[in-house]
Amino acid sequence: MPDSTTLLVWLLKAGLIYGGMLGVAAGMTLAERKVSAWIQWRIGPNRVGPFGTLQPIADGIKFFFKEEVVPRDANPVLFRLAPMLAAVPAMLTVAVIPFAGDISIAGVQTTLSIADIDMSALYVVAIGGLGVYGVILGGWSSNSKYSLLGGLRASAQMVSYELSMILAILSIVVMSGSLDLREIVAGQAGAIWQWNIWSQPLAFVLFLVATFAETNRHPFDFAECEPELVGGFHTEYSSMKFALFFLGEYCAMFVMASLTTTFFLGGSEVPFWADAPWFVQLGAFAAKTSLFLFLFLLVRWTLPRFRFDQLMAIGWKVMLPLALANVFLTGALASLGVYGS
Amino acid sequence: MVIVKRKELSLMERLFLPEIVRALSHSFRAIFQPKITRQYPEEGLPTNEVTRGQPRLTLLEDNETLACVSCGLCEVACPAYAITIDGQETDRFIEREPERFEIDMLRCILCGFCEEACPKDAIFMSDELELADFTRAALVYDIDKLKRPKAALQKRIDYFYKVNDRWRKSSSTS
Repeated sequence: MPDSTTLLVWLLKAGLIYGGMLGVAAGMTLAERKVSAWIQWRIGPNRVGPFGTLQPIADGIKFFFKEEVVPRDANPVLFRLAPMLAAVPAMLTVAVIPFAGDISIAGVQTTLSIADIDMSALYVVAIGGLGVYGVILGGWSSNSKYSLLGGLRASAQMVSYELSMILAILSIVVMSGSLDLREIVAGQAGAIWQWNIWSQPLAFVLFLVATFAETNRHPFDFAECEPELVGGFHTEYSSMKFALFFLGEYCAMFVMASLTTTFFLGGSEVPFWADAPWFVQLGAFAAKTSLFLFLFLLVRWTLPRFRFDQLMAIGWKVMLPLALANVFLTGALASLGVYGS
Repeated sequence: MVIVKRKELSLMERLFLPEIVRALSHSFRAIFQPKITRQYPEEGLPTNEVTRGQPRLTLLEDNETLACVSCGLCEVACPAYAITIDGQETDRFIEREPERFEIDMLRCILCGFCEEACPKDAIFMSDELELADFTRAALVYDIDKLKRPKAALQKRIDYFYKVNDRWRKSSSTS
């Protein structure tokens, strides 16, 4: 049992990181609208607060005051449970992401991540796999054909792309010889060319594509797919339940961007500055992560949606064989001792 | 029968990713394009003398008396029955003036027939376009809301004469 100071520090870290993540998620809703506007030569929301910066708060207040509708034929328990199931896994995954190296709060030496699990890569994959439950339960319990189709498609898509994503992670794990995200980051310390993106470019591309499918973002947003399915799995949802789905989506985006940073861009390591103070590391992490967050937005407002059979064909016929080959190659090289130890 | 020949894709195109990167760079460059949004309530709509906005009544040079003699031609010309005129006698040299001149702006279709019908240059289509209120009654405009100094409509009057010059001349009896 840790002493009370350590406990308090942990609570503080947890509060800060979760608060920060929710802040990022709220900021992303604004950024999404702003970037989409810029790409279309528009200005975007600019009425609430300076340059529209208070728009997420206004949106949040609006969501709270909306009427909550539960359809008559919906499954009452699962219908209420699904939004929580959609939002919680993304929030759980953030617990193990190392945002910065060692930090000393009130005399307690600790790392800037909520939990220090030595199999955190496994944890990420395990919890990330739960995300599909929220979507499919939301789609099924609504008792609407559009919701059900959206949920089915989303689950099929997330299951197929999870494979490639896990295999991409696996090749990183084989290379760095550890399931601990902190050690994976430490393995990329030093110069810029130590980053895994250079030694595992194929895994990087596969992981990146899979993150888009995992977060149900364009061009793989078959869970929603407005022109075909009205609103997809959240057709019947309103008010804060609907907002929770979106919170989950944006948190998942943040988590996926963080994971891409952690696995491939050296996480919180600052190039050529091994013992940087924690806030510089945090800044480096934030900069790298926002790069991917921006990529999420840019892709959404550039690419059209795939066809569902194309999605499945790419997932099973292209990504999975490539990921398998990549794991095999990495394993062969590792057994020949290329990666040291 | 139309046979659509599919374009043969090169290897780079079939790889998707290079093309996707190209598309992304295109939309990234679009971010820095000048914005085409008009900030509407602050930034008004661009209007000129050709704009056929809501009809307005012109005042004579003294800025007090209406040019209107309540002949009722615009009332007759109006296809939407938006105009209501009650005339009365007056001591002015033109002897008649409207006692009541109302345009129901909810009925008005901004066609401009009243402008063409008017023999006295008393009604013109202004460049005023905004029309909003909380009650229907408030959108039935009376003389106070309709009258405008002639200077405010001068550009429209000049334009009106310019485009109508030809038929005015040919139909002129003098």
